[in-house]
Amino acid sequence: MERSIQAIYGWLLALPACLLLAAFTHWPALASFLDSFWSTPKGRRPSQFVGLDHYRRMLVDDPIFLQVIWNNLLYALITVPTSILLALAMALLVNERIRARGLVRLAYFTPTVLPMVAAANIWLFFYTPGYGLLNQILTAFGLPDTNFLGSRDTALWSVMVVTIWKEAGFFMIFYLAALQAIPPVLEEAARLEGASHFVYLRRVALPLLMPTTLFVLVNALIGAFRVVDHVVAMTQGGPDNASALLLFYIYETAFRFWDTGYAAALTVVLLLVLGSISVAQVRFLDRRIHYR
Amino acid sequence: MRVTRRGFTALGAAAIGGATAIGGTVLGGRPARSTEVKLTFYYPIAVGGPITKIVDGYAKRYSELNPGVVIEPVYTGSYQDTMTKTLTALKGGNPPHLAVLLAVDTFTLYDEDAIVPFDELVSSEADRAWMRSFYPAFLENGAIDGKTWGIPFQRSTPVLYWNKQAFVEAGLDPERPPATWDEQVEFAKKLTKRDAAGNVTQYGIQIPSSGFPYWLFHGLVIQNGGHLMNEAGNEVYFDTPEVIEALQYQVDLARKHGVMAPGIIEWGTTPKDFFERRTAMMWTTTGNLTNVRNNAPFPFGVAMLPARKRRGAPTGGGNLFIFKRANEAERKAALGFVRWLTSPEMAADWCIATGYVATSPAAWETEAMRKYVAEFPPATVARDQLQYAKAELSTHENQRVTKVFNDGLQAALTLAKTPAQAMKDAQAEATRILAPYR
Amino acid sequence: MPEVRIERLAKRFGTTVAVDEVSFTVENGSLAVLLGPSGCGKSTTLRLVAGLETASGGRILVDGRDVTGLPPPARGLAMVFQSYALFPHLDVARNITFGLEVRRVPKAERAARLREAAALLGLEGLLHRKPSELSGGQQQRVALARAIVAQARLCLMDEPLSNLDAKLRQEMRKEIRELQRRLGMTMLYVTHDQVEAMTMADRIVLLKDGRVEQVGTPAELYAKPATLFAAAFLGTPPMSLLALEDGPEGAVVAGSDVCVLPGRPGRGRVLGLRPESVRLAREGGHRAVIESVEFLGADSHLACRIGRERLLVRASGHLDLSTGAEIGLAWPESAVHLFDAGSGRRLEVV
Ligand SMILES: Nc1ncnc2c1ncn2[C@@H]1O[C@H](COP(=O)(O)OP(=O)(O)OP(=O)(O)O)[C@@H](O)[C@H]1O
Ligand SMILES: [Mg+2]
Repeated sequence: MERSIQAIYGWLLALPACLLLAAFTHWPALASFLDSFWSTPKGRRPSQFVGLDHYRRMLVDDPIFLQVIWNNLLYALITVPTSILLALAMALLVNERIRARGLVRLAYFTPTVLPMVAAANIWLFFYTPGYGLLNQILTAFGLPDTNFLGSRDTALWSVMVVTIWKEAGFFMIFYLAALQAIPPVLEEAARLEGASHFVYLRRVALPLLMPTTLFVLVNALIGAFRVVDHVVAMTQGGPDNASALLLFYIYETAFRFWDTGYAAALTVVLLLVLGSISVAQVRFLDRRIHYR
Repeated sequence: MRVTRRGFTALGAAAIGGATAIGGTVLGGRPARSTEVKLTFYYPIAVGGPITKIVDGYAKRYSELNPGVVIEPVYTGSYQDTMTKTLTALKGGNPPHLAVLLAVDTFTLYDEDAIVPFDELVSSEADRAWMRSFYPAFLENGAIDGKTWGIPFQRSTPVLYWNKQAFVEAGLDPERPPATWDEQVEFAKKLTKRDAAGNVTQYGIQIPSSGFPYWLFHGLVIQNGGHLMNEAGNEVYFDTPEVIEALQYQVDLARKHGVMAPGIIEWGTTPKDFFERRTAMMWTTTGNLTNVRNNAPFPFGVAMLPARKRRGAPTGGGNLFIFKRANEAERKAALGFVRWLTSPEMAADWCIATGYVATSPAAWETEAMRKYVAEFPPATVARDQLQYAKAELSTHENQRVTKVFNDGLQAALTLAKTPAQAMKDAQAEATRILAPYR
Repeated sequence: MPEVRIERLAKRFGTTVAVDEVSFTVENGSLAVLLGPSGCGKSTTLRLVAGLETASGGRILVDGRDVTGLPPPARGLAMVFQSYALFPHLDVARNITFGLEVRRVPKAERAARLREAAALLGLEGLLHRKPSELSGGQQQRVALARAIVAQARLCLMDEPLSNLDAKLRQEMRKEIRELQRRLGMTMLYVTHDQVEAMTMADRIVLLKDGRVEQVGTPAELYAKPATLFAAAFLGTPPMSLLALEDGPEGAVVAGSDVCVLPGRPGRGRVLGLRPESVRLAREGGHRAVIESVEFLGADSHLACRIGRERLLVRASGHLDLSTGAEIGLAWPESAVHLFDAGSGRRLEVV
């Protein structure tokens, strides 16, 4: 009796959170899944059941979808490892006893606290052909002026650079926190045993940072498939979809083309991607990397 | 949903009306108005200036002139945002009564069964005369099934701006802009400057191609004797020789003649490039007139776009729409407001305040407009070009078809595809998208 | 095995003087304990010897070789930290052999030395566990094994037992001492626990505020504390210290007419008496009032008052005495310690 009352009490306490989660996460996900089998309703054309048509269209009829997936994979493959490595390097550097450490930390962290649109504006200026900062530097060295955001060879890469610039500082904070959580006595012990600073980093610090690395990795991967603001602010996916990413394409399909049926199908694909990353995290991270 | 909302509003209005009535009796004041009509009016901002203040002022003035009608203007962001908000509100069963939206979105609104044609709203002969009072080019984008669904409000068209000082330096007559495609290339070549290393320091011309490259490019197509779509908005002509030739011309400006920056040229920074002498001529909207007037550090000229087989330019900008959800009284009130807002005096006022092209010949005959033109003659260039203008690209599934076309243009401009191939692909894709509408 | 010599060693952190001209010697193969209250500079001294801190002055000589400027690994020593400093991601075996791997000791030798050390400390069954899967005592053993396996000539320990419970601490004390004797290591051992110091040390270096208070064997420090501080710090319960005054017949306990040193001056002097050397006089003796009685089983502690001063008496067995009672106390002349109240220095009883 006592127990069941307790259980009811517990469920009641959890109820608001459950309701919120259901209303804003589970229901929309389920609705998207269901909607993806129906054509987009229009005032003059009611929705029809189309089965797997949307999915067939993705694979067969929609070169933009394939391009967007490819772009996104490339984007993840480049930005994730690069920003993680950079974050780690910066954290190690900043963690040392260097002069003006606070200032350096702040400098690295600034990109992260900057709102994306402000950051994009700064970079838009850097990338501007002609008088943009990068091109001023290029031309000062006698190199040809480059239209970074305006050519298909450089547009996606230019967006990646901004991402890395922004993410690395953010991830650095995690690494810094993890580094500071390592007792300094471990390095002293290692030093006494004859280990150089480098050996200490490789054999002690880095292995101890593994949980952080995995955490950051998973977050970065999920982030890479959830990016939209960089693209909206800088290239609108152009030129000719060269810098379009999955979520941007969904946004465009849903809120510019008003093709909500197809957008629902695309959303299902995105959910699948994010879901599999999360599953991998739970299975891999929780099983392997745990010391304490 | 709708019934509930309106019922509730009516109930609320009645309750308030009752309360004031009682108050009125007690205090012996004026009798309360129970027939007040409230209209929600969504509008975007796409140009500089204190637009919100101007629009609020209009709304207030109209209510003063027409007791019983209250206009509630709601600023809703960019055109894109406004469309998004409108459609979202529509799907929620709660659309505005009135909105300013892109003329090219007419088909989308029509397909959503969201708007009413003005032909069904007008009753008197005077009303019908009013509908005929606009420049025909501005009405084109609003017409479907022989009916008029949108009334021109903030409309624009692209023109050519040139740097007179650069012309002098290049040995050109500073008062004579290029009148033909060939002249345009020839002048641009003379205007292009290179440094010792061979890097360009000043381009001859700039036709921006980011975001919505189709719009300026449409000018080239019309000049070449072509057009991009039919009036029914269910067919496009992307792979016609006129279009491919026009695209080849735009590609050649950069790649063959070297008088324009290669790749995608930013719409937003083009005026700045012009001010900084990175380009001696530019194509951009008349909407930039005030901007250029205020910021160009050199004398400049404004001209119609050069001709090939003929002169030509697309129209652009926003129309006024009235939504179907409005009831009889609201529709009537909305029509009254639209008529007032597009009357010659108001059109002139709006044009002077914002730089948009006044939408009717009568507006140009007003006192205020005459004065403005006398002070600033370039303002007439856009008007004079209207006789050559055509509707801008607008079809069913407009955003998507336009995107396909934009992608094709950008593919050609970035040399990913030849113009012919890019247009062939875009035509095939657009045709597929439009198939359900034929 | 080396002899360690510390000469006028000093360390300043900004304006804090953590170690102030400390000098002492640790003989070859012996165990020296650095003892003192918290913050007196024990750890700092040890870390200076290890090379983890740079000295502000003075020299450190190991077997006559000046190592003051050498990096830690070049000093040929091992160290056990208070927190053990085990690597959490490595198992016991890899923790023990970490240093050997870093120094590229051949695999076969590594394995042999690991076996040896593990056997010595009874870690054979735990070699594949992670530190998080060990008890505090086991972790302590791993840390010891890591220090031993290096076969360092000199071993430094910083409060290695402070995280263990009282019983385990006692066992480990014995084990460490045995190990040190068996392997003939020279050991410098830091503790703030005087019992640990008394039971383990060949020599105690007593520190206070970064300065050496007294150096000697436990017996010397106990029998002849050189200062008031040393007198109060060593021994449980500690020595009673009574301020003296001049009386008509000689030195009296302050605030009383109890004459403890007949014919000698009392002012400015302090009398020290260990509780175990004072006994109850059946008759006569110095008059004192009992303030409290604590029965501890084997013996009882009597807190007594003479004048303004307090005095502790340790008597064997159960005593049937009540608070407030007046008793007589007696002690042999040889049990008297005398100190100068101003300098705290020991005075010879003459
Ligand atoms: N890195 C440091 N920076 C500044 N002051 C320090 C530092 N390390 C130690 N000190 C100071 O030096 C003095 C001696 O410290 P130390 O750690 O040697 O004391 P300890 O005798 O080991 O004390 P405990 O028994 O509490 O461990 C203290 O006053 C301490 O605050
Ligand atoms: Mg210490």
